[in-house]
Amino acid sequence: MLELVAALFSSVLDAAPPLVFAAVGATLSERAGVVNVGVEGMMRAGAFVAAVAALAMPTPLGVLVGMAAGAAVAFVHAWLCIRWRSDQVVSGMALNLVMLAAGTFLLEAVFDSPNATPSIAQLPKWLGHSPLTWLAFVVPVVAHVAVTRTAWGLRLRAVGEKPQAVAVMGVRVSRLRFSAVLLSGALAGLGGAALSTATLDRFEHHMPSGLGFMAVAAMVFGRWTPLGAAGAATFFAFGKALSIGLASSAPALLTVVPQGALLALPYALTLVVLAVSGKKSAAPAALGQPYDPELR
Amino acid sequence: MREALRRALPSVLAIVASLAACFVAVGLTRGFGTAVDAFAAMLWGAFGDWPRFFDDGGSGAVLRPLGEAGTKAALLTFTGLSVAVAFRVGLFNIGAQGQLMVGAVVAAVVGAQVELPGVLHVAVCLGTAAAAGALYALGPALLKRHRGVHEVISTIMLNWVAVSLVENWLVVGPLRASASGDNSISGTAQVHPSAELPRLLGDTSRLNLGFVLALVAAAVTWWFLARLKRGYEWRAVGLNPEAARAAGIDVGRSVVHAMCLAGAFAGLAGAVLVLGTELKYPATLGAPYGFDGIAMALIGGGHPLGVLGSALFFGGLRAGGTRMQLFGVHKSFPELIQGLALLLVAARYVWDRLLARLAKKEAARA
Repeated sequence: MLELVAALFSSVLDAAPPLVFAAVGATLSERAGVVNVGVEGMMRAGAFVAAVAALAMPTPLGVLVGMAAGAAVAFVHAWLCIRWRSDQVVSGMALNLVMLAAGTFLLEAVFDSPNATPSIAQLPKWLGHSPLTWLAFVVPVVAHVAVTRTAWGLRLRAVGEKPQAVAVMGVRVSRLRFSAVLLSGALAGLGGAALSTATLDRFEHHMPSGLGFMAVAAMVFGRWTPLGAAGAATFFAFGKALSIGLASSAPALLTVVPQGALLALPYALTLVVLAVSGKKSAAPAALGQPYDPELR
Repeated sequence: MREALRRALPSVLAIVASLAACFVAVGLTRGFGTAVDAFAAMLWGAFGDWPRFFDDGGSGAVLRPLGEAGTKAALLTFTGLSVAVAFRVGLFNIGAQGQLMVGAVVAAVVGAQVELPGVLHVAVCLGTAAAAGALYALGPALLKRHRGVHEVISTIMLNWVAVSLVENWLVVGPLRASASGDNSISGTAQVHPSAELPRLLGDTSRLNLGFVLALVAAAVTWWFLARLKRGYEWRAVGLNPEAARAAGIDVGRSVVHAMCLAGAFAGLAGAVLVLGTELKYPATLGAPYGFDGIAMALIGGGHPLGVLGSALFFGGLRAGGTRMQLFGVHKSFPELIQGLALLLVAARYVWDRLLARLAKKEAARA
């Protein structure tokens, strides 16, 4: 039994980091008032580019390049939403579709394979886990401190609630939002890179297979706070690890509680939380609204 | 007519720009000679192999691609209408994918487990699938109306609930077909022949009644939204809910009704997929037609006939995509064209600015 718990704990440590990074990233963007449903696409870009870069350079550098790729996708999102006031949900979903197809296209066109890139050197293990696992403990805390304890964070939150008021104080709303969205993309890219350099040793065609949307769920579940989002992401990863662990260790239980029901649980729970909290929801007030300097 | 053209212009420009960018992408990776061949293959596969038709006169060279295009276009039209109808009242239905899956699995069950005479069986399958899709969309609508929950978040969640419950449980568990001599052991049991949508071109193509249904659905939706009082009310709600409420329109009711219609359309897409081509719920549905609906609705400018137009075009490209594999291009390549076009449509204000500048130059010259 104890062994089982240890194995479960260990698999959570491996499965959680991609979700944690992406969920914290999404939180930063949305706290600044920019909806980010494009996390899935940004993760995919990070996963693909990190794996490709790691073919030519040491894997840790590849991870950084993957982060840059996530940020590059986020730049397009920011440019469309902030500079051109495009619909933020449309832009995010469009980027998801583009990245989904672009990944498949490049896999075929560059590597002549519909399935995966060649294998790369995985990230080294520190204390039995990838360094990104330990980084996943640090990032949410840093984000929490940055959001709640720094002037930048105060402005970030204000920009998501009432941008006009912040503009009056002389803060450049669009620049602040840009920085938040870029950070969000870099973190989503890091999450994607964790999939292709730590979880596996290559990019596979289905990555990140919905983890980006799960990260959005974690953000909502965590009530738009970095620590809450990271906690929810870990909880969701735990649920996934549990359902997979149960399938191998206690298959009899799965005839009572089907695995599909366990997999649906994170999303269903998020819905329940939303339904209960209702209008008192923690979502930033100006979320999804393009900033209009003319408005008071 | 001029007005319609003016409204369609940004979408057309977006599609042209996207085609050009994707052509360059293939050219850079596979060489431009190959890119020309690959795009030609896609076009012949999409809208009929006319050169071959004029060479040897075999009508199959034209009918087969067009039939396949129509088959894909029917699905895209239904999910596109689903998203477009919700847009009309100001809701973003990202949940078409989940509603489609629920509709598909209900159609597969009713088609395989219930025994009814011909026409009635098809009608019952379609009806129950539409009802299931509508019911699945009712949740987000009620959450929106009574609890103020944003429909984007709730429909995203319900998409994944549907994936988990349908594909990770029902289709591999209770509904899985028992292997009985038949080789197909993945997915649900085959639907009865009485539940299959009749094929329109015999054995030449998989084109089926679903295509006709899609045409009718687009036309009826247009008529409803443009000509009926209820359709007008929906538009008012979408444009300005406060003003609509002041004018005595029941905003909450409009939102719920529109969302249910959106879910019904997505459910019908699932039914047409199962009863028209798959004939069962396969292990996985494959192409995410529900998400494609977002692209169709936006590229089509939210107008039912615009949705139909973009579905016919991209349905064609989808059909032609399989032929690109011969040239080392993945068959999902048309999805890249479509995604990029959507992104460019999202950048609508960039186009507006560009066109306004061009118009000004024109005016200065005149």
